[in-house]
Amino acid sequence: MMDNMYSVSKGGKEMGEIVRPFEFRQCFSILKATGRKAKNLRELGQIISEVNEESVFHHTYQYFLKGHAHEYTNDFAHWAGESLEERALSEHLSNIDPYDFRNIADLRAELFRVIDSYLELFPEPREAMPGDEFYFNQTITFVFPTGIRAQNLAEFLMAVKHVDVGSIYYHFYEARTRLGSGADDFSAWMENVFGKRSLAEQLRAIDPFMHTIEGIREHVIEAVEAEVRRDMEVIA
Amino acid sequence: MIARYNGVVPHGDLQFLQKLGEKLRDKSFLHINSTRAGGGVAEILQRMIPIMQELGISARWEVIEGDNGFFDMTKKVHNALQGNMEHVTQKMWDHHYEINRINAAKLDLEADAVLIHDPQPAALIEFRKAGVWIWRCHIDVSNPVPEVCNYLSRYCKKYDAAIFSVAKFTRAMGIDEFIIPPSIDPLGEKNRDLTDEDIKETLDKYHIPPDRPLLLQVSRFDRFKDPIGVIRAYRMVKKYNDCVLVLAGSPAADDPEGEVVLKEVQDYAADDSDIHILLLPPFSDKDINALQRVATVVLQKSLKEGFGLTVSEAMWKGKPVIGGATGGIPLQIIHGVTGFLVHSSEGAAFRIRQLLNNPEMAERMGERGKEHVRNNFLITRQIRDYLSVWFSMENKGKSVLDL
Repeated sequence: MMDNMYSVSKGGKEMGEIVRPFEFRQCFSILKATGRKAKNLRELGQIISEVNEESVFHHTYQYFLKGHAHEYTNDFAHWAGESLEERALSEHLSNIDPYDFRNIADLRAELFRVIDSYLELFPEPREAMPGDEFYFNQTITFVFPTGIRAQNLAEFLMAVKHVDVGSIYYHFYEARTRLGSGADDFSAWMENVFGKRSLAEQLRAIDPFMHTIEGIREHVIEAVEAEVRRDMEVIA
Repeated sequence: MIARYNGVVPHGDLQFLQKLGEKLRDKSFLHINSTRAGGGVAEILQRMIPIMQELGISARWEVIEGDNGFFDMTKKVHNALQGNMEHVTQKMWDHHYEINRINAAKLDLEADAVLIHDPQPAALIEFRKAGVWIWRCHIDVSNPVPEVCNYLSRYCKKYDAAIFSVAKFTRAMGIDEFIIPPSIDPLGEKNRDLTDEDIKETLDKYHIPPDRPLLLQVSRFDRFKDPIGVIRAYRMVKKYNDCVLVLAGSPAADDPEGEVVLKEVQDYAADDSDIHILLLPPFSDKDINALQRVATVVLQKSLKEGFGLTVSEAMWKGKPVIGGATGGIPLQIIHGVTGFLVHSSEGAAFRIRQLLNNPEMAERMGERGKEHVRNNFLITRQIRDYLSVWFSMENKGKSVLDL
């Protein structure tokens, strides 16, 4: 989708080497209807298997943009739990990690399999109340530079405290699919530009499903702040 | 004007508006609705147009004119789209078309993008010249009278795209349909910061005690807003906690049922001096603002709701909100995070007690609610979304646009 925004040189920065700065970018999306809606699990499974990839992507990968309480990890689980009160299914669906899949087709197949297995056990699930059906949407995403760049960890720390949540989302969540490696932009920059492998691993260990975007920001700040402090102590 | 929003709305929204402004500079964006003043659409357009102009976009706002027969008919259409049984005759539709035709002849419809608001000017599409034409529906059309909706759809289907406030309002008409929630203006009279004196003035005017926990619902006296249910909840709470209830709404001149419901509410409240039923005159924005700022807990216990922007208004003032799980309310209230969603008076009473007994939780929810509104329901986000729809229509087929 875009060029790499950081150097890929390994092993840290040498004296005098020009550091590739971290350019904070941001994204946001507008919602578009697909025209499809499901009123029960059978329809949900059916439409998941037919609807366009953008819609499956939106209801899984983009769940975190919506600022939900973290009881679920995707819109399908959310609907099964809240609107159909099929709690066991919502637990199964919440356990699906979209980053485990190489492509949307595989993720779609797994979602369908989980719903289908549940329907074999409980073949007569309830219907959603009128108006509470599952509406399949998709998004059009806009990406733009925020004009904020960091040349070192201290600048990064300052910046990450102030950028909008859309920027944290872009670099922490959206990067996982964009880079195709399941990693976020922050840890990639820190490891590739500064050789901060342990810090990068710390950031990669932050569970993307267990925090709000603000929670992710706090964890990133905490880890980077500790690293900057350690670096300063070495200098002293 | 945009500079005034600095530090109030998300910085990224302003940056993105500037970026889009560069892309759409000197292009023309025409908005058309049916009233210059009164109502949420006109209120937002008044603020939105100058901001778009400041971005370098040649934004215009035109208003169609009509006779009483036209507006009686469009009121019927409005009600029918919201699910009330109304009969709209072919003759009325013919008149609707005729008024649109006359307006089309008078108005300059040349623009790069045209946004038509609501059903009144919908037939202008028959007179389109060029550009992208988008129909914006501000009405809850989740359960409309089919004949009326189908007739109107004849026009809507001719647009390039339509915009609805909530996903469940979308109609699968075979054109691009976008979902853009409405917004509040943080600098408008209803939401701007007030001084202590401003607030005291309102409390004195309506004889509201300043030193007791205050429960507030701001809404029309309409059964769908469940004012009786709110009083029931208040009575359940009152057994455990001291509190005052304020039900504030404007007399609904265009709603014949309003007076009946008001009477029911007054009878139900009986002689409880801690229940204040306020009939606010039109343009009471500052008083509503003051009441929301002084409330301890805000309710919007609707049984049916279009979007329910009073929820965002209260959340913007840092208040925890208890709302009915209907319409656009669940988009605004993240249950347990920015407030509580309830399904009954009992549920509302329980949550009110929780909040009254746990001021720290109330404060935390209020803070999170304010941030949720900042990120999702302010006017700059709505402008951003309108411009984005237009820009995406000019770049059709792309699901990611890099600016």
